[in-house]
Amino acid sequence: MTSQYYLKETRREFLKYTGTGIGALGLASAFNNNLYASTTSADSVSSIKPHFVPKAKNVIYIHLVGGPSHLELFDHKPELIKRDGQKCPDHMFKGKQLAFIRDHPKLLGTRFKYNKYGQGGLELSEHLPLMGKMADHLAVVKTVRTEQFNHAPAQLFLHTGFERFGRPGIGSWISYGLGTENCDLPSYVVLITGSVAGAGNSLWGSGFLPTLHQGVEFRSQGDPVLFLSNPKGISKKNRRDIISGINFLNETALADIGDPEIATRIAQYELAYRMQASVPELMSINSENSSTLEAYGANPGNKSFANNCLLARRLVERGVRFVQLFDQGWDHHSGLFGSIPKKARQLDRPVAALIADLRERGLLDETLIVIGAEFGRTPMLQGLSNNRAANNIGRDHHKEAYSMVFAGGGIRGGTSYGETDELGYQAVESPVHVHDINATILHQLGLNHERLTFKYQGRKFRLTDVHGEIVNGILT
Amino acid sequence: MRLFLFNKRYFICLIIGFLPCGWGASFDASVTHWAYVTPERPKFPDLNANNPIDHFIIERLREEGMQLSRLATPEKQLRRVYLDLIGRPPQPGEAHSFLSNSTDIEFNAIVDRLLASPQYGEKWARRWLDLARYADSNGFQADQLRDSWAYRDWVIESFNSGMPLDRFTIEQLAGDLLPQSTISQKIATGFHRTPVCNVEAGVHPESNRINQVIDRVNTTGTVFLGTTFECAQCHDHKYDPISMKEYYQLFAFFNNTPLEVKNTSGVTWDFYGPKLDLPLSSFKMAKMNSLKNEVKTSELEKKNIKRSLHIEQKEWEAEILDALKDAPKWEVFDVGTFSTTGGSSYTINQDQSVLVHGENPDSSTYSIIIKDAKLDRISSVRLEALLDVSMKKNGPGRNFGVPENPNFVLNEFSLKVNGRKVVFSNAKASFSQEKFDVLGAIDNDVKSGWAINPQFGKAHQAVFTLKQNLLLEKGSILEFKLVQHHGEGRTIGRLRLSGIDGEYFKSNLPTEIQSILLMKNRSDKQVKALAEYYASTHPRLKEIESRLADLKKQIDDIDPETTLIMSEMEMPRETKVMMRGNYLTPGDKVSPATPAILHAFDKSLPKDRLGLARWLVDPENPLTSRVFVNRWWSAFMGRGIVRTQEDFGTQGEMPTHPELLDWLAIELVQKGWSMKHIHKLIVTSHTYRQSSIITKSHLNKDPENRLYARASRVRMSAEMIRDSALATSGLLETKMFGPPVYPPQPKGIWRHVGRNAPKFLPTEDENRFRRAVYVVWRRGAPYASFVNFDAPDRGACVVERPRTNTPLQALTLLNDQAFVEMGLAFAARILQESELVNDEQRIQFAFRVALARNAKQVEVDYLKVLLTERENELIKNPKDIDALLSDAKWIPFTSSNPEGIAKWFTVANILLNLDEAITKG
Repeated sequence: MTSQYYLKETRREFLKYTGTGIGALGLASAFNNNLYASTTSADSVSSIKPHFVPKAKNVIYIHLVGGPSHLELFDHKPELIKRDGQKCPDHMFKGKQLAFIRDHPKLLGTRFKYNKYGQGGLELSEHLPLMGKMADHLAVVKTVRTEQFNHAPAQLFLHTGFERFGRPGIGSWISYGLGTENCDLPSYVVLITGSVAGAGNSLWGSGFLPTLHQGVEFRSQGDPVLFLSNPKGISKKNRRDIISGINFLNETALADIGDPEIATRIAQYELAYRMQASVPELMSINSENSSTLEAYGANPGNKSFANNCLLARRLVERGVRFVQLFDQGWDHHSGLFGSIPKKARQLDRPVAALIADLRERGLLDETLIVIGAEFGRTPMLQGLSNNRAANNIGRDHHKEAYSMVFAGGGIRGGTSYGETDELGYQAVESPVHVHDINATILHQLGLNHERLTFKYQGRKFRLTDVHGEIVNGILT
Repeated sequence: MRLFLFNKRYFICLIIGFLPCGWGASFDASVTHWAYVTPERPKFPDLNANNPIDHFIIERLREEGMQLSRLATPEKQLRRVYLDLIGRPPQPGEAHSFLSNSTDIEFNAIVDRLLASPQYGEKWARRWLDLARYADSNGFQADQLRDSWAYRDWVIESFNSGMPLDRFTIEQLAGDLLPQSTISQKIATGFHRTPVCNVEAGVHPESNRINQVIDRVNTTGTVFLGTTFECAQCHDHKYDPISMKEYYQLFAFFNNTPLEVKNTSGVTWDFYGPKLDLPLSSFKMAKMNSLKNEVKTSELEKKNIKRSLHIEQKEWEAEILDALKDAPKWEVFDVGTFSTTGGSSYTINQDQSVLVHGENPDSSTYSIIIKDAKLDRISSVRLEALLDVSMKKNGPGRNFGVPENPNFVLNEFSLKVNGRKVVFSNAKASFSQEKFDVLGAIDNDVKSGWAINPQFGKAHQAVFTLKQNLLLEKGSILEFKLVQHHGEGRTIGRLRLSGIDGEYFKSNLPTEIQSILLMKNRSDKQVKALAEYYASTHPRLKEIESRLADLKKQIDDIDPETTLIMSEMEMPRETKVMMRGNYLTPGDKVSPATPAILHAFDKSLPKDRLGLARWLVDPENPLTSRVFVNRWWSAFMGRGIVRTQEDFGTQGEMPTHPELLDWLAIELVQKGWSMKHIHKLIVTSHTYRQSSIITKSHLNKDPENRLYARASRVRMSAEMIRDSALATSGLLETKMFGPPVYPPQPKGIWRHVGRNAPKFLPTEDENRFRRAVYVVWRRGAPYASFVNFDAPDRGACVVERPRTNTPLQALTLLNDQAFVEMGLAFAARILQESELVNDEQRIQFAFRVALARNAKQVEVDYLKVLLTERENELIKNPKDIDALLSDAKWIPFTSSNPEGIAKWFTVANILLNLDEAITKG
């Protein structure tokens, strides 16, 4: 049968849906459990399926927190380099809302080279050579547009389609839509390097969706899942006895009262017990062979982005639907040319290894990899004085156009999609809104973004609000 | 609409409700949605039931051929009503009279006691605080803490005191606008100072403000009207009759409060906005009083010393005068030539001081050449920095960088005699600025130097002692060099140089004091100046003065606690419709008004928040009273009469018992908006007190329990789970109110980006065991165990929390340090009961404590086997005992029986984890 983890999905939920005529859409595997069969009309609902045949089953979503510069990494602009140091054209400054820049700024060309990679000749920064080797698997969308230019609201907007708190993120929507394929793990797992992004835990909270669709953070220090390990002095045997005792007494109550919630709770205690073994096993990358560890640049016991990429593979391998990685440290208001090579090196090897590893294991076709951020950076220089030393040079937040990278599940590799103007400021060809990105990710999983809805406060909500068009140009 | 008979009205609405999906874009003006019609009190024939509630429920059940269940067992009734009214289970001994004599009279008496308990407000505040999106932090990046817990306390107190809900509403929305508003009424307005606030660098304050006002409008709609206004932000409401214009008319009521961020520098912002000083807490008041007493004592001693001071002063004067007789005197040097590298002009005054004026360069080095020193021998030289009106505050420095600080920095002071450098052994100044001691002027380090901030407007002097006395032959040339290159004109504006032959210190009195001393006839002013100078040199007085300054600082540092409040700007803002909800594209101007579909806004009401609040509690309002009673009904019964508590609009569900809803709504208004009255009505009904056992017939006819043929079983909230476990463990600390508390949670949960990130340090005193309502609520990372039990982040108003059932909840109750501590304390509590003679009795006691019932034999037998197993295990591994109890260092155990506690923890842990222990059944 399907997920025990999902046993909980309440029949209240179900009735809310059918009662308002929206139908059984998006109710995942909840009702496949026979615990409910005798108590609700749920057994009349057949197994929930995606809206159409999916291209991908799982998502690994890498969010580079702070907003890396697309101009240093993905979007090559020779004209910008040529006009480095000139005052930016008026339309890029006058009447625009910028986070930090207050005086008419100068243009800033990149100081990095670009190389052409793969059969398609995809252009990438010289600092992404290993990802370059995977170029025929990558699609770079260069014209992503968002509507927020401060970190926390932009992070919320990207993930939840709304710049304020209270809405579910894309991981929760997908968990709600598809459930999980592993009964011992949550469907939505979060891995973090560095401090938590500005919008906080709400980025993986479930908003108004049932809380079991919230992301569960697997931590690299302390318990991998909060409260996973036994208290000191509680042996394995004693823990087994305690859980057996709880369940014995709960079964007695179930017999007396007949509430199916009690049956669910019994199952959840058994699952908790199994997780106490399965999660540490999952999180321990010691069992990986040394060539794999080396390919990722992963070190057991470390806290690193490379380790998290390897863990992401282990998670999708075990059927976790949505794995979200957050990597802090991409907000380069200054020190741009010093920091990008360092951060790019941290990114390049693990991502390239992840793609190769998934491919070797036959998982790349069913796993969609997304590399994104809340926004990009201005083609204009940010700094107190325009001719300060190199380590003071940076770029401000930029919402008009930036790049996101896709690979795997149904993505046409070697694709460069959309064009920004010669200065990399805004889209001149094939603009893509954040809502379009989200619609496309759902689409790859077989979910129609217009039909994946949840009724709350008298209104049907969806991830893409009333917007969203599939970006067909990057799909196979 | 009132022409319709009551039931007909609902009938029509019911038909509308069944119209196919997609209907609703247009409105038939002739049919008003039920919820927008003012309720009328339904009549009911003579009562078959004692409680009107039962009448409506029984009638409806009869239509379906069903009936109420029998009453639940007295134990279950007692546990249920304790949990519902005060948020924790009854403890052995509490209300046991009802167990032996379970009459209605006895039950009612218990209900009255619980309604009067201070824990009633603590229990009910939680739901209101979800609606009010109350939290202790700003949200967003950085997510710094803010103080508004006084508002949380106000909610608790208001529920306890039985404040009528119309007043409760008015004070929260507009307490500040009431005539002669009290502190408490102002604190109440914290209700709308709870919205999140983004202070990350680069944020645009107006967009922040607009978001906060939007949040206030939407929350007001949800909390008091059960209506979602949000849709009308960008376009006319698709389903409910609220236009975009009407949305911004509501917006206008809230659009007149000041900005809530402050620009600190550049693009950096801090949280700001109206705050209220609270009366000092008793702890702070006691500290303040003790400090003030100490001030009094010190002042008295000072006075006594001063009283006898003139006698000591006489002796001192005589001594000094005697010494001065033979003391060498300063000889002022006549200036030979003066030059500066900075290109300033200068004037040599009659008193041989040099006044530098004109050009004021960043830095300047002065050279002064003395051609006739008038002394044969020099032991020290003196540099005076004198005042002049040409400088700010009269100087003595020429700094232009900080206009209020006429400072100077003398980086190097040197002297050459006949071209040969002279070595100084020491330097003393009338005053040296911190980190700018005068010794820095003779250390051959051009970075250090002498400065005098903050003693401006005062002449200063420095005396430089020579390493060896300087013997001067006639015609010797002295060349002084003053290097001053700190920048921004930090140079001396007027200076004078002197020399002395002999010990200078005896005469090192300030010049004016020395001259006063030498006078025969002194003016009153001079007498006073002399006395003050002497007092300033008195060692004990000095000590007292410095102690007094310290005390004063400590008193000043006792800030009152503050809380966030609303306050209206004098000049109201203009409100315009925002096209597509965007403030950057304003449309037509609008003024405050309420939606036309609802009852009229009385012309006598002011068009401000106060008017809006009064309009909300107008008895004609069809929504507010219904919305209130419906939410309480849901809290007691597990679901609302209107299932969609947050939406009474056309897209919401129809009420299952419309007449009951209206009857309760009218009862609320007629009984003085008393929440306790309605609560008592509900919990004393048979409907509430009946059994929760689910029969086959229930499952067939009404699996969801929409008709209440049985009591609902509902998993408890995160907060109730904590409070119940604390009560069970015996650890519950009943202290009320005050700043948030920090019970233990795993490390590393508070780790956000941003400035001044607060740290989570678990409390190590009784505050560790206080009720959940006092636990710190950080929006970016709420208390971890609460999150696992469906607590929201409180970033926005939440009407109803989900109730999930996950393995993470199992892990929390099994392993969370907080629950382990409670389990250990519970184990100790079981062992402490001296009248329990065997394990069976102990198990029975544990069940009564945790579940308010006796254990069944099968339960006792099972646990006895487990206890034996555990005992054997611990005998084999005694180290486990210490390990387990190492987590218990904050628990105030009264007896020590570590083996017993480690063994009984098994039972305690099991009982605290039971479905029954975390379910209201």
